[in-house]
Amino acid sequence: MDFQGINDRLLVLHAPGLLGADEPRPPDPADKKDKGRSGDPYVLVDPQQLVPFLEVCRDDERLRFELLVDLTATDPAVDDEQLWINVALLSVTHRHRLSIKCQLPKADPVLPSTTPVYRASQWHERECAEMFGITFAGHPDPRHMLLPDDWVGHPLRKDYEFPKEYHGISCE
Amino acid sequence: MDERSTATEQLEARVREAQVAGGGEQEFMLDVRTQDMEVNFGPQHPATHGVMRVLMRTDGELCTGAQPHLGYLHRCAEKIGENVEWLQYLPYTDRYDYLAAMNNNLGYSMAVEAVLGIEIPRRAEMLRVICAELNRIGSHLIAFGTYGLDIGAFTPFFYAFREREWMQALFEKICGARLTYSYIRIGGVFNDAPPGWLEEVALFCDTFEQKWPEYYDLLIENQIFIKRTANVGIIPHDMALDFGLTGPMLRASGIDFDLRRDLPYSLYGEIWKDGAFRIPVGKGEKGHLGDCWDRTWVRMVEMMESIKIVRWCLAHIEEGPVLGDLPKTLRVPPGEAYVGIENPRGELGHYVVSGGDKVALRVRVRGPSFTNLAVLEDLLPGSLVGDAIAIIGSTDIVVGETDR
Amino acid sequence: MALLENSFEENVLTTKVDWLINWARLSSIWPMTFGLACCAIEMMAVGAAHHDIDRFGAGAFRATPRQADLMIVAGTVNFKMGDRIKRLYDQMPSPKYVMAMGACATGGGPYYKYGYTVMKGVDRIVPVDVYIAGCPPRPEALLEGLMKLQEKIRNSSVVRKPARTA
Repeated sequence: MDFQGINDRLLVLHAPGLLGADEPRPPDPADKKDKGRSGDPYVLVDPQQLVPFLEVCRDDERLRFELLVDLTATDPAVDDEQLWINVALLSVTHRHRLSIKCQLPKADPVLPSTTPVYRASQWHERECAEMFGITFAGHPDPRHMLLPDDWVGHPLRKDYEFPKEYHGISCE
Repeated sequence: MDERSTATEQLEARVREAQVAGGGEQEFMLDVRTQDMEVNFGPQHPATHGVMRVLMRTDGELCTGAQPHLGYLHRCAEKIGENVEWLQYLPYTDRYDYLAAMNNNLGYSMAVEAVLGIEIPRRAEMLRVICAELNRIGSHLIAFGTYGLDIGAFTPFFYAFREREWMQALFEKICGARLTYSYIRIGGVFNDAPPGWLEEVALFCDTFEQKWPEYYDLLIENQIFIKRTANVGIIPHDMALDFGLTGPMLRASGIDFDLRRDLPYSLYGEIWKDGAFRIPVGKGEKGHLGDCWDRTWVRMVEMMESIKIVRWCLAHIEEGPVLGDLPKTLRVPPGEAYVGIENPRGELGHYVVSGGDKVALRVRVRGPSFTNLAVLEDLLPGSLVGDAIAIIGSTDIVVGETDR
Repeated sequence: MALLENSFEENVLTTKVDWLINWARLSSIWPMTFGLACCAIEMMAVGAAHHDIDRFGAGAFRATPRQADLMIVAGTVNFKMGDRIKRLYDQMPSPKYVMAMGACATGGGPYYKYGYTVMKGVDRIVPVDVYIAGCPPRPEALLEGLMKLQEKIRNSSVVRKPARTA
């Protein structure tokens, strides 16, 4: 199914947490500053209801998204108050993809962990947590994934300050 | 030390009791309790395929728990993506999966092109597919050679590298580099093929096709190899989907899915319609479906299918431009896109977000080895230490991709 | 590791002993398998048949540092790995040599500017004998680096003055 079909199916199923969809559009001729948006469409979901939403995506006959391809986050700008969570799903049976976006407040980024739905998200969430400082409530193994255990700060945030030294070794 | 000496004393006391009770020297069996040992498998180890550490808890030869630790090669690729320009990021893409650098370039270029919305010249697409498939052969050759090395067979390694030298010489002729090419750029490819290059690729295909049955017989049909890898590390159908596996690991478990055929990109849709190649799916020939032998078999057969794809491109390639007209300082309009391609290891995904600037807002790299590796936490417990090596080798990970 | 330091005046016997020991050492440098990243693939290519490193006597790659003479740091070093590199270097018995292969081990490489966890060169934690430039260096470059190291060993002396110690 294409994006329109998937979106319609989600609306028909009253998927929990579905807030809307965003599709690419050309620049608005009335607004000079609007450059439009290109690329892929995505679905906006409430982060606190991400788990039941993913269950619907995985279990419904027509959607059947068996694979969680990617779960990551984005920090759009230094002064933006929100962090995005981006989830990419793939269906092997029906051969279609879906991109999901959730918006979290940067001051308190907490959302329930999606590990009960897909085992694949366990490692992706660990990486997200250490890179962005997001807390996935109920995660079975919240250790650092790629950074050393005593690393300070969340590197992929836009306001991250590069360290000057680590354990006596200069970083310059 | 005290604990052990008292344990020895206790054991001796029990032996003496048993002897006395039995009336002198005679055979008896004692239940000997041993301690679990925690072994650090890595980060420096010849069989970990790079710097990866697996903390294994072993009870004798039986592995009772495994915890992979990553991050020993974390090179901050995603942070760099937010700080350098679009075109400047391309050399960094080579370096995450350094065995299949052409495919990485292709993935990134396609993601940026999806946001840009531009058309690629046809000759560039042909050259892209030829280079990507040749690199797939090179990557699977290393998988075959180093897996033999892990199992204990030294010869396939040398044969694999002999073929690879030829492939690297071809790439050196077209773009100047042996390992990290930066050849496939946004908008096309960097250089046109020099005169005689396409004929040499055809010669490579012919020669490789004759050599391949020898390699197959040398390692894959070898009885020792079969005994070491069949029925080892079985990944059942549901587990493969739950863990998000892609690529040969998914196909070896019997799931018929390949991005080149099912969600086609570049020219693959056209090549599939022409019937030029097929997708090998594991059948459980030598053991249970989804074991290490199946995964290696899928990779070997994929090499032959890549030769067929290259042949199709050589037959259909025409003259034309190879690089679209792009400004030196590229400004990508605001938007975002996720493009996943079929890397030799699985689905390599690039998620790029643009704010309209000359620097990306976010470049997310979804490495297939990262996701494929998670399966070790559930596969290794319950296997012997020797089998653990075979399982880790069959996942064919590249640590540059797990750590980025 | 100056065995006979200041015990003898330099004479024909000691220079011959020097020559013999140095020849024995440079003809059988056994590297440790220490490939970290992309340079490791070129190191494997050097070990393979086309650019044979075995003709230099250095073909026996030992997995354990206890039996190795040379640590070829091939690839990017980051802080998490740096601790292990130091430990492995300490475990190698003298005389030991370190070769920094590639741009990343020499000075951080392409990850110099924005790599927050990349160590800008392995010589911040271990003393390096030979630096090999390239990203990744060609196998021939690695062989030249090995030959340079052999030259360094040839010119060192067991008798005359202490060579660089651990």
